[in-house]
Amino acid sequence: MDKKTMLVAEHIDKRFGMTHAVNDVSVTIDAGEIRALIGENGSGKSTFCQMLCGIYTIGGGTFTLDGKELHIKNQVEANDEGISIIVQEMGTLSGLTVAENIYLGHEKPFMHYGVKDTRAMNREAQKLLDAYGFGRIKAGSMIDRYNFEDRKLVEIVKATYMKPKILVIDETTTALSQNGRLELYKIMDAVRADGRSVIFISHDLGEVLSHADTVSILRDGEYIDTVSAKDVTEDDLKRLMVGREIGSAYYRTDYGTPVSDEVVLKVSGVTVPGEIEDVSFELHRGEILGFGGLSECGMHEVGKVIFGASWDRAGSVTLANGTAINDIPTAIKNSIAYTSKDRDNESIILNESIRNNVVLPSIDDLANHGLLNGRKLTRFANEHATNMQTKMQNVGQFVSDLSGGNKQKVVLARWLGKGSDILVLDSPTRGIDVKVKQAIYALMADMQKQGKSIIMISEEIPELLGMSDRIFVMKDGRINGEFKRDPALSEEDLIAKMV
Amino acid sequence: MEKAKNRENEQSRLRAFLGGDTFKALLPLIGFVVIIVVLNILTHGKILTPKKLRLLLSQIYYPTIVATGVFFVMTLGSIDFTEGSTLGVASLVVSALSFYSIPLAILGGILCGAAIGAINGFFHVKFKLQSFIVTICTMYLFRGVCAYFTTETAVPASAAIKALDNNGLKIGITVAVLVVAWFLFRFTRIGNDVKAVGSGETAARFSGVHTDRVKFLAFVAAGSLTGLAAFVNVIKVGSITATAGNQLETQILISLVLGGLPITGGAKVRFSNIIVGTLMYAVLNSGLAILGYDPQTQQLIKGVIFLIFVALTIDRKALKVIK
Repeated sequence: MDKKTMLVAEHIDKRFGMTHAVNDVSVTIDAGEIRALIGENGSGKSTFCQMLCGIYTIGGGTFTLDGKELHIKNQVEANDEGISIIVQEMGTLSGLTVAENIYLGHEKPFMHYGVKDTRAMNREAQKLLDAYGFGRIKAGSMIDRYNFEDRKLVEIVKATYMKPKILVIDETTTALSQNGRLELYKIMDAVRADGRSVIFISHDLGEVLSHADTVSILRDGEYIDTVSAKDVTEDDLKRLMVGREIGSAYYRTDYGTPVSDEVVLKVSGVTVPGEIEDVSFELHRGEILGFGGLSECGMHEVGKVIFGASWDRAGSVTLANGTAINDIPTAIKNSIAYTSKDRDNESIILNESIRNNVVLPSIDDLANHGLLNGRKLTRFANEHATNMQTKMQNVGQFVSDLSGGNKQKVVLARWLGKGSDILVLDSPTRGIDVKVKQAIYALMADMQKQGKSIIMISEEIPELLGMSDRIFVMKDGRINGEFKRDPALSEEDLIAKMV
Repeated sequence: MEKAKNRENEQSRLRAFLGGDTFKALLPLIGFVVIIVVLNILTHGKILTPKKLRLLLSQIYYPTIVATGVFFVMTLGSIDFTEGSTLGVASLVVSALSFYSIPLAILGGILCGAAIGAINGFFHVKFKLQSFIVTICTMYLFRGVCAYFTTETAVPASAAIKALDNNGLKIGITVAVLVVAWFLFRFTRIGNDVKAVGSGETAARFSGVHTDRVKFLAFVAAGSLTGLAAFVNVIKVGSITATAGNQLETQILISLVLGGLPITGGAKVRFSNIIVGTLMYAVLNSGLAILGYDPQTQQLIKGVIFLIFVALTIDRKALKVIK
């Protein structure tokens, strides 16, 4: 007997500005199936599900659920069609009771002439909680009384009590302890047994293989393949997730070039609560030092630490001459540059001209006895923005008008202008097209030749392998592995230390 | 057909112009001219007589000095509501000290203002409270202080300070303040720093700007200049009552916004906003008085004009960035 089809997604598409988040994805999910959806960060799996659930508008293509084409405008409509989602972050509203959270958007049965029957609502909610085996959670209590895990359980009740045709679980398990996970697996199995379907997003490949029936892989917004969980291993999945061509022409091609022994920067015993734990390393002159890991591994904080931008830091960051770096102005004065992953907020002032953005870190150098000369500033900005081949009308243009790649060029122009010797580049090619990427890699190689030291923090493994002399892989806030530049080094080697 | 298309074209061009930056930049000047012309017609030319102009000038000295200080605060994208009560308290200090020595009185006024500014800056920076909340609290606090000393009778100043009442001195102080502030804003990194913080505080911090220091100092500057303005005020009025400086804060806020200063601060502020704004406010004020409107109606008209100006000049793109 043919299995009944539950969900058909055809040519689903979504763009965010320059980024093609979901690119023409088509999948079919059967009734009574647990389908895992995996992929790297930014592969489009969450965006795909959030379109299905009415959180984002659909950029293109159609979803057909149980034979009916969907036209959903928001989450409540999605619920009414039989689609629920349990999200990664906190999905309950504080200030409401447990019962109010469960019935949020579906209060109608309890409304009598515009007045809410709180008692009936609490009674029904408590029945649900008891039926799920979460009887210790009281329907009438404020949600704020419960911890993160219990709130997740409330969310699970909220998402499943109306028996959705399709349940989306978006990286929820990372927030749960083992017990909570078991509860969730039970519910997933119950949904399947009932002939309904689950879309299960998780980074934990072991969990994916043991609980899903089939696995679909997305990469860079594109659909790659769907495999049966029985037929594959974790390594197969990893290969499918990241397996792209490495060694394109634009990375460095030299191997075995010796790196100077001269240490320019020393980080010792640095801890930032909740971010990184006891991180120590040395940066050498003329070295490109890569930092890789999953996005929450703490590597982005390492960049902030070196730039003196971390709050509440313990441990020390010192230069070769003994100068301690504890705040941003000191870092800049001592020739440290930083480009943030959060370019629009931390690297650049959007509502300001290119000119003023480029001159800002160098303003004291450009002043003559504290006095500024407007024409000199313009000339300086023009010189460095032009050197970076920034596409602009003139340096008076506001940065908010520029594309991501051009913004990054302005960011780099300001630090080239400053002449910094230590550059911390966090996700330097994030959201940037291939051509500008190539220019940035060339620039990095060039700076290395001039004896400048670069720390490159990146979520893109090929870029780390292609550009770094040394790579640190971080996991859970600690350095979990160190690799030397080597043509034999593979993505899998790094991934093994990340997850 | 062709005609309709043309009209449509014109309309869209007009819309682009009205929403565009050029129009926003020109609006204060356009508004200034419109207000003068309209008031001149309504008052049958009475507003432009030499006598009226002299009166008008005498009204703008101390607001201009105060507005110059607040200009720096508003460029940060912050707001300061304490000018009125600062002026009141500082005027008391100036009056009291004027019996000893005039230089001491000036210094006392400035220090008193600076201290109030420092309190505002401290709470704003250290406790990360929004500036309008902090300054509304301190506004009430110092209004209370001012009222406490003036409940019984008005506090008189010395005869020596009243003898200084001549336009030359007042013009001199005002012009000196404007020139120094303009110089600092235009030719030192101070101007760059306040604009950078106003446009994007986090990015400014990551560019090496001492954001906390800049914010603190801007409030101190606003307080100090209000303290200096208190001296000019005492020269003019001679004795301090409980209402000294009443509603000065709204007057300054309205002036600067009328002058074209975007309420979000940042890169688009111009130093000329101060001068155009205070002049415009003074013209509007005296015009409405000449027209014989009672104070309540005047207030209502000013409120409407203010609302229209804010709605037309606000930079909606910047609003998303302001926290």
